Amino acid sequence: MWFTCDKDILQEAINNVQKAASTRTTYPILEGILIKAYNNRVIFTATDLDLGIETYIDADVHENGSIVVNSKLFGEFIRKLPNASVTVKMENNSVYITCQKSEFAMLGNNPDEFPQLPAINENSMYEISQDILRNMIRQTIFAIAQDETRPILTGVLFEVRDGKLSFVALDGYRLALKTCDIDSRNNISAVIPGKTLNEISKILQPTQDMVKITFTPNHILFNLGNTKIISRLLDGEFINYRQIIPDEYRLRAKVNVNELMSSIERASLLAREGRTNLIKFDIKNDGMVITSNSQMGTVYEEVSIELEGEGLRIAFNSKYFQDVLRIIDAEEVYLEFSTSVSPCIVKKCDSNDYIYLVLPVRLVENS
Amino acid sequence: MRRLVFLVDMNAFYIACEMARNPKLKGRPAAVAGDPKNRSGIILSPNYDARKYGIKTTMLVHEAAKLCPDIVFVQPDHSYYNSMSRKVMNILSRYSPVIQQNSIDEAWLDLTGCEALFGKPVEIAEKIMSDIQNELDLWCSIGISENKFLAKMASEMKKPLGITELWRSDIKEKMWPLKVGDMYGVGRQTERKLNNLSIYTIGDLAKCHIGILIKEFGKYGEELHRLANGIDNSPVEENPHHDNRSISRSTTLPKDTIDMEYLKTILLELSEEVGLEARRQDYKGKTVYIIIKYSDFQTITRQKSVAPTYLTREIYETGVKLLRDNWNGTRPIRLIGIGIGGLEEDGMKQISLFDMAGDRSSIKKEEKLERALDTIKEKYGFDSIKRARLLK
Repeated sequence: MWFTCDKDILQEAINNVQKAASTRTTYPILEGILIKAYNNRVIFTATDLDLGIETYIDADVHENGSIVVNSKLFGEFIRKLPNASVTVKMENNSVYITCQKSEFAMLGNNPDEFPQLPAINENSMYEISQDILRNMIRQTIFAIAQDETRPILTGVLFEVRDGKLSFVALDGYRLALKTCDIDSRNNISAVIPGKTLNEISKILQPTQDMVKITFTPNHILFNLGNTKIISRLLDGEFINYRQIIPDEYRLRAKVNVNELMSSIERASLLAREGRTNLIKFDIKNDGMVITSNSQMGTVYEEVSIELEGEGLRIAFNSKYFQDVLRIIDAEEVYLEFSTSVSPCIVKKCDSNDYIYLVLPVRLVENS
Repeated sequence: MRRLVFLVDMNAFYIACEMARNPKLKGRPAAVAGDPKNRSGIILSPNYDARKYGIKTTMLVHEAAKLCPDIVFVQPDHSYYNSMSRKVMNILSRYSPVIQQNSIDEAWLDLTGCEALFGKPVEIAEKIMSDIQNELDLWCSIGISENKFLAKMASEMKKPLGITELWRSDIKEKMWPLKVGDMYGVGRQTERKLNNLSIYTIGDLAKCHIGILIKEFGKYGEELHRLANGIDNSPVEENPHHDNRSISRSTTLPKDTIDMEYLKTILLELSEEVGLEARRQDYKGKTVYIIIKYSDFQTITRQKSVAPTYLTREIYETGVKLLRDNWNGTRPIRLIGIGIGGLEEDGMKQISLFDMAGDRSSIKKEEKLERALDTIKEKYGFDSIKRARLLK
């Protein structure tokens, strides 16, 4: 194997596949990147057996061949090279990387030991732009469960029903639901591991380029043109989220996102001290008061709202509000409430494509 | 700053209370004892005149009568002892606001910095002892030290009416020669295991390599080693933290039994007490466990995780399920107990979607109901209202 290409192109390809390489494993070959060069094309592959990424670049291939190199070492060396053309050449079991006046030799591994990615027949069931997919992930993934008590909740539900694609994530205390139109009559319901989506969202660009998505019973394949991402799906049924979202409310407050966000951020400075992140809302006709206290002191914040319905006192974990306000793409939102122990719904004022549900903290005073 | 901690231990508390209200018992052998007709017919508290005959706590009533035919038995009156106990605590609270009651008849006091008010440690102890003697006609022993463990050990050294100081600098001489079984916190099982490691005295334990103890006992081994060296940093706390504590009740049955219905009634009675205590302290348990001691004294505990609860009904139902699943129905049971563990404070609680999906909302109502029952019991007595199953 022997090829020459630009450092930038090489680095981008490695950055992309590296995300699937294992960092710590009992199976050292998985810490590597498989490099395969033939017919002026170089293919890079990495996998941790759950997630696999494959990408190709065009290069001057002087000699066909393949080898596995340690992903971390190889990647870091390439990153530190000057912007110039790079030559990668295999001799015996070593790889020699030369760029201007630098030469780096590293041991390689036998490519036959590298596990193959699952073979998938691409039927491109769905197509969606990179930009939209990126947003779908960003606006839901933060709500996945962080612990493994219910493994299915560590993933995001990918659901297509009647021309609508929904991403749903929930951890038991809140739920994020993002919807968009999709040009397909194929209905599906599958749960994609959070880690997979996290890595993909780093590869996706804010462009209108399309991503083709293929499902098999156990896998999902994202095809981004030069790059393919294959991931195992999570086993099991997702929670029936529709029945959790109430369709009625007793009071509704319209509020400016930035104003609410700043107030909650200030209030949570103290809430953080008291471990619970507890902030209290006192919703009244003339405004919403947010308070928080700990041994360190107290905070009092007033936020202007437009209220429909009667007032309410309710308490929340401030983190759950900050998470959503940080990512919601709206200037104003509706907060819909019923009682102090039932969910609050956060919605955009001008669109129905996003719903966030958060459960309150029960206080002794209202039990 | 070196702390100053007292342990005040009431001597022969139950019988001393009886003698205080019935002076005829003074100067003659007497004991508070359970009903001789059933198995709880054991000596609970002999007075010092009875002890001269070799009568000890937990001895059977008829054995005691054999040793000393003149002995007078008094039936226990726990509510009276409780009220006397409160009076003792009131006296102690004149000396320090920081009191931790360890049981009905003993308490730790943190008197750090109080010397300026009341004098030298021994003088303070003498004052406390004479207050209790003059006002309540009761005896006590007091241990004086710089931490709770040494104060407890000191209080055991001279009884009755003893005042003993035991500082860390004295332990080599005063505490290390004692048997490990005399150490506070070491029971028969632990003593046996320590003996197997050739550890016979507290000194052996203190000098033992800590690794050996950790290997044998885990974290508890580390604690034992520290205590044997006179180190105990635990504070005197009015309401000690109950992070990993549990609340449980158990009872030895009058007769060995294989009667499920009878056992269920007993479990309900015990669950009621556990639930009452949990609700009073505002703790919910994440696990329910039962203890079964068979007639051959083999003891097992079995536990089950539950949604955090302090409801008598849920504790009881889980207990019955555990009993069904773990008992073959034919092996005679001698003792049964039930408890909740993994306690967490009630009150502020992040509501979960899974609480809502299940029917936990009706639980709120039931909690209110049981709390209402508790209020009635508090006001009119534990037996003023009970579940139909427990009517006799």
